[in-house]
Amino acid sequence: MASAPTSKYNSHSLENESIKRTSRDGVNRDIGEALPRLPGETRITDKEVIYICPFNGPIKGRVYITNYRLYLRSLETDSALILDVPLGVISRIEKMGGATSRGENSYGLDITCKDMRNLRFALKQEGHSRRDMFEILTRYAFPLAHSLPIFAFLNEEKFDVDGWMVYNPVEEYRRQGLPNHHWRITFINKCYELCDTYPALLVVPYRASDDDLRRVAAFRSRNRIPVLSWIHPENKTVIMRCSQPLVGMSGKRNKDDEKYLDVIRETNRQINKLTIYDARPNVNAVANKATGGGYESDDAYHNAELFFLDIHNIHVMRESLKKVKDIVYPNVEESHWLSSLESTHWLEHIKLVLTGAIQVADRVSSGKSSVVVHCSDGWDRTAQLTSLAMLMLDSYYRSIEGFEILVQKEWISFGHKFASRIGHGDKNHADADRSPIFLQFVDCVWQMSKQFPTAFEFNERFLIIILDHLYSCRFGTFLYNCESAREKQKVTERTVSLWSLINSNKDKFKNPFYTKEINRVLYPVASMRHLELWVNYYIRWNPRIKQQQPNPVEQRYMELLALRDEYIKRLEELQLANSPKLSDPSTSPSSPSQMMPHVQTHF
Amino acid sequence: MFSLKPPRPTFRSYLLPPPQTDDNINSEPKIKKLEPVLLPGEIVVNEVNFVRKCIASDTSQYDLWGKLICSNFKISFITDNPMPLQKFHYRNLLLGEHDVPLTCIEQIVTVNDHKRKQKVLGPNQKLKFNPTELIIYCKDFRIVRFRFDESGPESAKKVCLAIAHYSQPTDLQLLFAFEYVGKKYHNSASKANGIPSGGGGGGGIGVGGGSSQKTPLFETYSDWDREVKRTGASGWRVCSINEGYMISTCLPEYFVVPSSLADQDLKIFSHSFVGRRMPFWCWSHSNGSALVRTALIKDMLQQRKIDQRICNAITKSHPQRSDVYKSDLDKTLPNIQEIQAAFVKLKQLCVNEPFEETEEKWLSSLENTRWLEYVRAFLKHSAELVYMLESKRLSVVLQEEEGRDLSCIVASLVQVMLDPYFRTITGFQSLIQKEWVMAGYPFLDRCNHLKRSEKEAPVFLLFLDATWQLQEQCPAAFEFSETYLAVLHDSTRVALFGTFLFNSPHQRVQQSSEFAISKNIQLGDEKGLKFPSVWDWSLQFTAKDRTLFHNPFYIGKSMPCVQNGSVKSFKRTKKSYSSTLRGMPSSLKNGIISDQELLPRRNSLILKVKPDPPEQSDSQDRGAEQYFREWFSKPADLHGVILPLLSGMHIKLWKLCYFRWVPEAQIQRGGFITAFHKVSLLADEVDVLSRALRQPQGSPPEAPCPELVQSRVYFHAGGPHDAPGTPDFLSSSFPFSPVGNLCRRSISGTPLGKFLSGAKIWLSTETLANED
Repeated sequence: MASAPTSKYNSHSLENESIKRTSRDGVNRDIGEALPRLPGETRITDKEVIYICPFNGPIKGRVYITNYRLYLRSLETDSALILDVPLGVISRIEKMGGATSRGENSYGLDITCKDMRNLRFALKQEGHSRRDMFEILTRYAFPLAHSLPIFAFLNEEKFDVDGWMVYNPVEEYRRQGLPNHHWRITFINKCYELCDTYPALLVVPYRASDDDLRRVAAFRSRNRIPVLSWIHPENKTVIMRCSQPLVGMSGKRNKDDEKYLDVIRETNRQINKLTIYDARPNVNAVANKATGGGYESDDAYHNAELFFLDIHNIHVMRESLKKVKDIVYPNVEESHWLSSLESTHWLEHIKLVLTGAIQVADRVSSGKSSVVVHCSDGWDRTAQLTSLAMLMLDSYYRSIEGFEILVQKEWISFGHKFASRIGHGDKNHADADRSPIFLQFVDCVWQMSKQFPTAFEFNERFLIIILDHLYSCRFGTFLYNCESAREKQKVTERTVSLWSLINSNKDKFKNPFYTKEINRVLYPVASMRHLELWVNYYIRWNPRIKQQQPNPVEQRYMELLALRDEYIKRLEELQLANSPKLSDPSTSPSSPSQMMPHVQTHF
Repeated sequence: MFSLKPPRPTFRSYLLPPPQTDDNINSEPKIKKLEPVLLPGEIVVNEVNFVRKCIASDTSQYDLWGKLICSNFKISFITDNPMPLQKFHYRNLLLGEHDVPLTCIEQIVTVNDHKRKQKVLGPNQKLKFNPTELIIYCKDFRIVRFRFDESGPESAKKVCLAIAHYSQPTDLQLLFAFEYVGKKYHNSASKANGIPSGGGGGGGIGVGGGSSQKTPLFETYSDWDREVKRTGASGWRVCSINEGYMISTCLPEYFVVPSSLADQDLKIFSHSFVGRRMPFWCWSHSNGSALVRTALIKDMLQQRKIDQRICNAITKSHPQRSDVYKSDLDKTLPNIQEIQAAFVKLKQLCVNEPFEETEEKWLSSLENTRWLEYVRAFLKHSAELVYMLESKRLSVVLQEEEGRDLSCIVASLVQVMLDPYFRTITGFQSLIQKEWVMAGYPFLDRCNHLKRSEKEAPVFLLFLDATWQLQEQCPAAFEFSETYLAVLHDSTRVALFGTFLFNSPHQRVQQSSEFAISKNIQLGDEKGLKFPSVWDWSLQFTAKDRTLFHNPFYIGKSMPCVQNGSVKSFKRTKKSYSSTLRGMPSSLKNGIISDQELLPRRNSLILKVKPDPPEQSDSQDRGAEQYFREWFSKPADLHGVILPLLSGMHIKLWKLCYFRWVPEAQIQRGGFITAFHKVSLLADEVDVLSRALRQPQGSPPEAPCPELVQSRVYFHAGGPHDAPGTPDFLSSSFPFSPVGNLCRRSISGTPLGKFLSGAKIWLSTETLANED
């Protein structure tokens, strides 16, 4: 029974699970075909194909294509394989073999996905079935090129909670104690006139006037001026984010920018230096002068110390991830696993990002110095650094909702170019703008959660579902490059938020070991000795590599929890039955009702 | 709070004494009587006052002042100063916080930085300079450093020479254990004719843990007989021909052989085997197949004949008369020299300086040590033998030249995988007695207690490491924790326990009889002295500390579990298996689809042969591949067979064991221990509740008997006022603390790697020439 080698090997795909879940919320199913459909999802076509499974060989199946997904069910009795792939993950569709191709299954389609896998289908040469499938897939996987809407705009799913309500910038700043007498909230960017890639609402020094801000904007790449991301609740030091100054080859200076940074420094009385972290390697920062950019020089910014964090650019990261895919898909490089892994440099990049974030966090928390973080444009490496540092410093962001707010704030509202980096609905798979920057951030979060198994409210599934829907285009959350574009497209009105799906079923994403600890700063050890490849994400398609699911340690904990509850119930029944005979139970030191309540409430 | 890239001291800065910051160090060290704590039979050989123990490398502000003594058992640093920066100390009752047993010393380096000289001290060597500094490299990866700036130069020199002398004894009987036991005998003789406790110790750990039964030592006929009965082996008998070690000096006095072989035949056969180590039984599967280990037949003429006779006998002992599967370990597994070489490289890598320098190439360097590769090779081979025994129902014979090294690992791993008893604490200890101590694993040579053999090899550690891999993958299947494994490893470096002192049981008897005669100890009926057993854990750890040996994730047989909301006694039925694939060890190739074939080349759609439907799953011909695949397709039966995942990413470095002394690698208030802590609290609560439930109904709560209330777990669910957070003292090194055990940075200017392995080469070209 258990031996069917091709049984749902992708059953650990969260996509499947999420569909099962939503089916309870009224997802339609084509009776008889058992094709799961979301409200608003329509079936386009189906074809008989041979799925060339890299792990179990060719499997005959029927593929259904809707405007949201590609769904394959095997037609063979001994294998229950199901593939369920949102079209959003498709990066590239290629035709394999030509009219003259010989050999079985040599004629078909090869689909490259954004989530570390490839799908191959062999089709019959007769009847143009390949052409049909190619055209339909191209059309619906890359709707932008065909003037079609992205599926998120067609999705009619309804959830009990509205994920768009999760992040309210005013509330989030208020949680941080802002505004205060040093910092004010400005609406200068209400219509995105100051900076079209920044959110409408910004926190700036109280002493900087709106005119000052405009003058500073002229000296910062894409007008991304230094604004507050986070303030330390006790020592009141801040993390500021911005883009590079427009120094250029001639070494231009701007008095307003210099004064502005000085004003920031002066909000903190404890130390008379401001720390600037330039995320780039030193040479890159210098090279940027040629295109008008640069960094803050000692001469111009007397009261600031500048450090480079040596994090490479989006192109390096893209190539690195490509190498990771090469060694894990479809086959895992076995003979020299560790050196192969090393040669991808992926973990090295993770290490540099984490190291940078640790430095930022440490500077703010222990060094008691305010910090300005930037890279070139301040929407990739900067977002990684500020959000990771905030995750280390502020335990609130380690809760499920807190993390959603962190992503919503530091990534989505501050203009990480999701559309360009992911290429939602776009057919140009080789676009140099694409890069796994957000994935890298989530990987860093995962590394932290490995080192601190009790510090995060969410589990690995939570991180994976976020990544799955980073590509799926089912939700509006990660669409578009910036807030102004989202506003123009009325994303919050016309699409569903990913947080709606997650927050209406939070239990599934909770880490049972979570121990809420307020004010605890987490310093992960950013050492190759501890960093690991995230096997459950990068190698999840390989049935041979999969680690035990559910995690046995977690499972044991859940069993013990159930056992405890059962015992408490029984004890209460016993006590009830014996209550006339028993003295006041609170005199008994081992009385569970006295020992447990504080723990019970956690779960 | 911490700097990410510490400034790298230069070689020069190492040789010159670090600048003194007088505000932090009391320039007039306190003069106070500092007395060492000594064990029976332990004597102070030499001592020196006003010694500074270096704690941090980049500053001397944390350094401790005290007295350094060398006894015949340990080096001890005695101080009044509290240990700085340390939040927790796991106390060994035999050793002080700053002590190092002499048998744990790997290398002794003396330095005089005014004369710019250094020397690695061997035994009976002269030292022509007065050392200003002493660096002790320990076998457990610690590095301890003392400075003698304020001490009397002559006494400092004497202590260094004493340490060198006493840590490199010329004779086994000079190891401290003999003094200790001798003293115990004398003491007890003067009181009554009692014999000091030794023997099996308890299950040792379990107060209230249900494992208070004694560990069988397999020194007696009855222990073997019980083991035969426990496994349900039929066709096997305990034989006594080696009583008094008449046949072989490296076999136990009693061992188990096929019933069909008569004592007379065995005696004749024995001559043909290396070390007269004829085949002896380890274990039997419930299906009747047996695990047997043997040395090679050296007599080429007799080889075929004897081999045939033995195989026939083993076949006869099998209820199905199945064939015998022979596994030649020498041909399939790394040898002890390779294992030792890998370990030396691993050690270099783990303690290498500076930390940051090894970071960039960490993964490939780790791979190049080949340690993980070897761990994996042993696990893989053992798993394949599990398949032979369990699925093919064949008896397995492990063949090895002498049969005293690789066989120990493989025999043990096979049994750990197959028999849940060996995953309990008592069971695991009995396994070590059976397959290591009694089977003649040469602990003395491999641990190199006498510091003079080229036979040193961490074979036992490799077994513990492989066990850790299994534990890491199946945490609920083991009663013991990784702390237990690490502490067990450490115990091999404390030359007090008879368990790890000898090359064979015969050596113990022989050496200790000699010693007894020379010391006028009446042995009576005893065969040799009774040394303390390592299994008597109360010698080393308090009851509370021993609870850390327990794995809170363990699901014992008697533990109830919850299914569908109702509490059931734990019994997993075959029916509860689901059909989800759990992956399989992809390293096991030659299967239906080999890994290489799987890789579709770009622009080609190669058709792969589909795997045969597993219809003939009961057929004996299915491969190991399929056996593993099927096993991994089911949830692990924690009371059945467990198998390891074996691909590169599944075999991991045992960080607790190898990184615990490295401050830079320590995750403060993090690491797996924080989840362990959380589960412990819950397990403790559940225990308290179940005790409350078991209390006779209606009776008022009794004053709890302390022994019953003693928790199985280290961490307790506190009262409602306890903060539920992660305790401050937890770290990824817990319960060990790297503070003070390694003064890293200040020696980072020296090429430490050279110090550790190629010290001789280095010194001969640079400094040694200055010295002698």
